[in-house]
Amino acid sequence: MKKFLFLTTLFFSIALLSACKKDEEKATFGTFYLQFDNIVGDQDLTIADAASSDFKYTNSLDQNFNVSLLGYYITNIKLEGPNGEVFVDPVTTGAAAADVKGIYQVLESSTTSQTIGLSNVPSGKYDKVTFTLGIPADIVQEGATGGVLDPAEGAWLWNWDAGYIGFAFEGRSPASPVAASQWNPENSVQIHIGGWKDITDNPMMVNNVKTFTLDFGTSVSVSDKLEPKAHIEMDLLEVIDGHHGSADFTSTNQVHTPAGGTEFAENLHSAFVVDHVHQ
Amino acid sequence: MAPVIGATFSPFTMKKTLIISALALVSVVIGCKKDETDKGPSYEFRKPENFPEPTYTFDNNPVTEAGFKLGKKLFFDPILSVDNTVSCNNCHNQSLAFADLPLHAFSKGVMERQGIRNAPQLVNLAFMKEFFWDGGVTHLDFVPLNAIEAEFEMDEEIENVIAKLNNHAEYPALFKAAFGTDEINTPLMLHALSQFTNLMVSNNSPYDKYLRGEVVLTAQELEGLRLFEQKCQSCHSGILFTDESYRNNGIDSVFTDIGRARITSFSGDIGKFRVPSLRNVGITRPYMHNAKFATLEAVLDHYSDGIIESPSLDPSLENGIPMTAEEKAAIITFLKTLTDKDFTQDERFFKG
Repeated sequence: MKKFLFLTTLFFSIALLSACKKDEEKATFGTFYLQFDNIVGDQDLTIADAASSDFKYTNSLDQNFNVSLLGYYITNIKLEGPNGEVFVDPVTTGAAAADVKGIYQVLESSTTSQTIGLSNVPSGKYDKVTFTLGIPADIVQEGATGGVLDPAEGAWLWNWDAGYIGFAFEGRSPASPVAASQWNPENSVQIHIGGWKDITDNPMMVNNVKTFTLDFGTSVSVSDKLEPKAHIEMDLLEVIDGHHGSADFTSTNQVHTPAGGTEFAENLHSAFVVDHVHQ
Repeated sequence: MAPVIGATFSPFTMKKTLIISALALVSVVIGCKKDETDKGPSYEFRKPENFPEPTYTFDNNPVTEAGFKLGKKLFFDPILSVDNTVSCNNCHNQSLAFADLPLHAFSKGVMERQGIRNAPQLVNLAFMKEFFWDGGVTHLDFVPLNAIEAEFEMDEEIENVIAKLNNHAEYPALFKAAFGTDEINTPLMLHALSQFTNLMVSNNSPYDKYLRGEVVLTAQELEGLRLFEQKCQSCHSGILFTDESYRNNGIDSVFTDIGRARITSFSGDIGKFRVPSLRNVGITRPYMHNAKFATLEAVLDHYSDGIIESPSLDPSLENGIPMTAEEKAAIITFLKTLTDKDFTQDERFFKG
């Protein structure tokens, strides 16, 4: 996989390089930024203390809740343009954090994690981005990996059904009847969307890794002098309250299986929207 | 030898003699080194000819002597557990093909906590597609995390293990020797353990030697093999003696442990468990995920007369597997030819 992605990137780079050579004599590259901004409906999403009883947000069932943890893995990022421009962000894995590239853990608690800088993007116009939400089979099956996939460094690895949680939301809601325990505060809500396997003969959909394309609505230019930024909004309400299913916190408050996360995984695509792009 | 040869030369040729002696000595030393290497243990992973391709990602983590020995040290070290009392070796004994003692139907974790399933043997892991009785883990690297973090096994957090290793007097240098890095992290620790467990290849049982034409089996063992092929091999298939499927083999009708359904969330998988390899089965009692049977005789009696009906019962077992007492005895005799003493006595795995 590593080689494939690298070769693909190389191929497109060479293709663009030769194209540019004809037109402009020399290829140039720039950086493209993706900025992720998490919201809850029309409100900004802010992290509350795990024990907080300040419930800022409300779902469609009028159940109040707050958010103490929110994040997701993004990988296999691809930019495309109206004139056939393609940039594939190389993905590599390895034991050392420095070997792990093209895999990002976006955390509401970490501002720096919310901006992904894609370097070496060939100059040109781009009008859409494609990425995978969650960690797909080919990366899981590389085995133990470092960096954002190291469980001692905060990676969300399920041990018992080994693979990574692609999207995690934790908080509290007075609607949740969960009692305090060594794992949960009282009224806990934990929705972990994971599962990456397609299991033969199993009617349950357990591969919750999603890949989707977001249009910018316009095109922006990358060059050695232009560093555009796409501002992507992720609406938590769309995930837990979307058209594929809603979380009633009285009954759906602890989701820790692939099958349990399926309806929320189906909501993910519509939760991510490119709000605007900066040239 | 070299000095003796040198001593036979006259003083006039002393210089020449010295050179010759030196050369002779060097060649003797080189010769010895070569011989020692040839006779010493190999730490290279070698696929037995008649085994399937390994599933393990050796490209990411080739086995080296330093990595294997580091993995061995970790395997025997209770530092992996919360109170430094339980090591991997506690429940995985080499003399039992890395299964637990028959006394421990369910293994003992820290503070005498009892496990929930019969600890399996560790054999031919490099070739397996999935691990554990429910197949929840699909890569060998991730296997030890379950033992480390399970409350009833080692009950330790991986962050703490890595911190303990980084602060240890010996481990940083051993990781440096094995992987060339100054910092110990989770993937390196798991890679070291995988290097150790990947070399747990069992292919020297009397049955293997029979296949290679090195030994003959007795008439009863051969009769057992013939019966095994008829009555057992549809599930315990191939050279690994498992088809790696999940089946309900009729040992219960009510499942407190739902087995494969824990991973698939599919009601049809309730009560199904992984078909285990039968290699070394003669020394890995008790049997089944819940340690229900203490002996191979009890296992075969179950298959002939004890199958319990339930919705997910494997169709091939609906009428049991008819076997006479004589046939059972022959099958058990054959199963014991799968006990690999070269493996259980392989010095590379000794604690040292």
